[in-house]
Amino acid sequence: MNDYSVEATGLTKYFGDFKAVDRVSLTVPTGSIYGVLGPNGAGKTTSLRMTLGIIDPDEGSSRLFGDQRPQAVRHRIGYLPEERGLYPGMKAREAIAFMGALRGLDWSEGRRRAATFMTELGLERVIDEKVRKMSKGMAQMIQLIGSIVHAPDLIVLDEPFSGLDPVNQERLEMLVRRERDRGATILFSTHVMAHAERLCDRLAIIARSQRRFEGTVDDARALLPMQVRYTPRADADPGAIAALLPAGAEMRGDSWFFPIEDADVEPLLARITGSGLGVAGLSITRPALHDAFVHIVRQVDASFEADASNDAVEEALA
Amino acid sequence: MTPFLKNMFVIARRDFLAIVATPTFLLFLLAPLFMVGMGLAGGMGASQLADSTRGTGRIVAVVDAADVEELRAADRRLRDAFTRGDAPPPLEYRIAGQGAPDPLAITREKGTDTYAVMTGPLASPRIVERNADGGSGRYLTLLVNQVLRDRAAGEIAPAKPRFESIQRGGTSIAVQQSLGFGAVFIIFLLTLLLAGQTVSSLAEEKGNKVIEILAAAVPLESVFLGKLLGFLGVAVLFIAFWMAMALAGGLIAAMQIDAATLATAQSAGEAAAALGAAPATGWPFFLGIGFVYFILSFLLLGAVFLGVGAQAATVREIQMLSLPITIFQVGMFSLSTAAASAPGSTLSTVAQIFPFSSPLAMAARAATDDSKAVHLLALGWQAIWVALVIFLSVRLFRAGVLSGGGSWKFWRRRGRAAAIAANAASATAQATDPH
Repeated sequence: MNDYSVEATGLTKYFGDFKAVDRVSLTVPTGSIYGVLGPNGAGKTTSLRMTLGIIDPDEGSSRLFGDQRPQAVRHRIGYLPEERGLYPGMKAREAIAFMGALRGLDWSEGRRRAATFMTELGLERVIDEKVRKMSKGMAQMIQLIGSIVHAPDLIVLDEPFSGLDPVNQERLEMLVRRERDRGATILFSTHVMAHAERLCDRLAIIARSQRRFEGTVDDARALLPMQVRYTPRADADPGAIAALLPAGAEMRGDSWFFPIEDADVEPLLARITGSGLGVAGLSITRPALHDAFVHIVRQVDASFEADASNDAVEEALA
Repeated sequence: MTPFLKNMFVIARRDFLAIVATPTFLLFLLAPLFMVGMGLAGGMGASQLADSTRGTGRIVAVVDAADVEELRAADRRLRDAFTRGDAPPPLEYRIAGQGAPDPLAITREKGTDTYAVMTGPLASPRIVERNADGGSGRYLTLLVNQVLRDRAAGEIAPAKPRFESIQRGGTSIAVQQSLGFGAVFIIFLLTLLLAGQTVSSLAEEKGNKVIEILAAAVPLESVFLGKLLGFLGVAVLFIAFWMAMALAGGLIAAMQIDAATLATAQSAGEAAAALGAAPATGWPFFLGIGFVYFILSFLLLGAVFLGVGAQAATVREIQMLSLPITIFQVGMFSLSTAAASAPGSTLSTVAQIFPFSSPLAMAARAATDDSKAVHLLALGWQAIWVALVIFLSVRLFRAGVLSGGGSWKFWRRRGRAAAIAANAASATAQATDPH
């Protein structure tokens, strides 16, 4: 077994004069859940398409399962495109079997698995219903089943959660974890941080056509300093408190908010207990992935506005 | 079965079923009924028209009463030499009365076309005819000469010819050429009716976004070929249906009018002659190769239309494409018919080699030329072109449509390449610039 299911290096794509994807590399360890995060139009979909060999990169290359061309291992891949599409005239069971057959699965086996999957996901009512009669979310679940029905080794899902209700989102997360436990590698893109935070073993953030971050969720959260929320005893003097806390602290309501570096935590606690101002409330938390993401994207946008060189930003972030 | 073929058949199966399992397909299948109905109505109308005009033409001879019988006998003899369509209009006799008759007055009589009027003595008749170069005047001259010769020579015993058929010497080249022409026409008509559909076949996938699933799962070549195959399946089903209908109809007709047909010896003889006419390569080979050429013609043109249609972004563009497509097909048809009527000429060689007219022209060649090996060569050549067209279509599709450009203006892409080159050049210039 290879250590990495996906090794894409230096993927670059031009649309006209616009550089849609600029030297993006994706390295996905086998058996992991890997998230590609980024704002709308950042180049996530194009990167995934190039990774799977659906479109050819202008520069760079993509290798799957060791040193294989994506086109040579199609039957081992499952792919849910961002633009959902099924033949409206097909029955759900047939549509799933058709997608399986495209990947080399036997028709009858595909039909059988389709029924199993659909029953599991609470769709048994519509197994023999035509796709055109289904709601958008239902059709999306059908297509999702279709893209994993042949038990692929690599599952690529482009924005799988968009358009699903919370119950189905939950089911999808369950499905993703189960496929991972089966041994599959899952690569998915999203701009909803909550899913990425819960699911991803590793993630990459793409903004303005380039990869701006790569690492675990914790790595990403560690990009920002921890946030302190401190509430002194009610009768304390604001001036004295401000003098005690770091310069950036600001008061909202009863509480003070300020960031803190890892090394400064114990000294701060010592100062607070020593000052005798008292502690009505105190929390020191890592920022959520959401904050890290927004921070990175803002920084990239700012650097564009400041006309700084892209390479410098990437180095600073890495 | 290789994965490529397997994928192709998955696509073909889907397309075939999606087309056949709709009510619209029934309409499509039965559409020729309208054509047959219209054809019948038109044919009946035309034959009635022909019948009604047939009696109206005439030629008139204004002669002495003594000459009438001799003229009538000579007329009967001469008319034996003409086949039905070529015979001059019926001859009408008038007895010359007092004074000189006015031929122009006779031509102006209502109710019928008068092609020529002869007046005066037989030795020096005056002939007034409608068309200066028409045959009616010459026929009247011939007739009069015949009468004069009879008078001079007296009664002569007519020759007693014995007729023998030269059928065994092989079918005449003219008949073979018309067989070739027939093959060209039938293949052309079927391709025109059936292959044009392929132009819109990728529009469905582009419309409902399934194309990305297909492109991700299987090579595009097998998508294109599979679609083509699906449509070919529909076409073959269509042809098989109508062949079966025609056979059944023929059998029923044969059972119902057996005695009557056998009685008319003449038409039976004609039918036998038609069956006796054989293409140079023989009927079984000719029919078989004709069908194979239909398939290749369908694949070749279908591949072109599929490729062109895949580039079209909207339904309107596809609709606009149907005219050039029809014109292209008609162009191939006229090239091939010209080739079929001149076997062995440079033109026919060109038509046989040019890939898109090759199936038509080669089918015609099978009617007139008995060499069979050349068809194997032609089939190989045409198959190479099918593959080539598919390959090019896929390349264009990948480059243009799938890469998100959506633009099939290749000159724009060249501009883009130039822009990239310029960017790269300026980047290196900056990098090497010491400032």
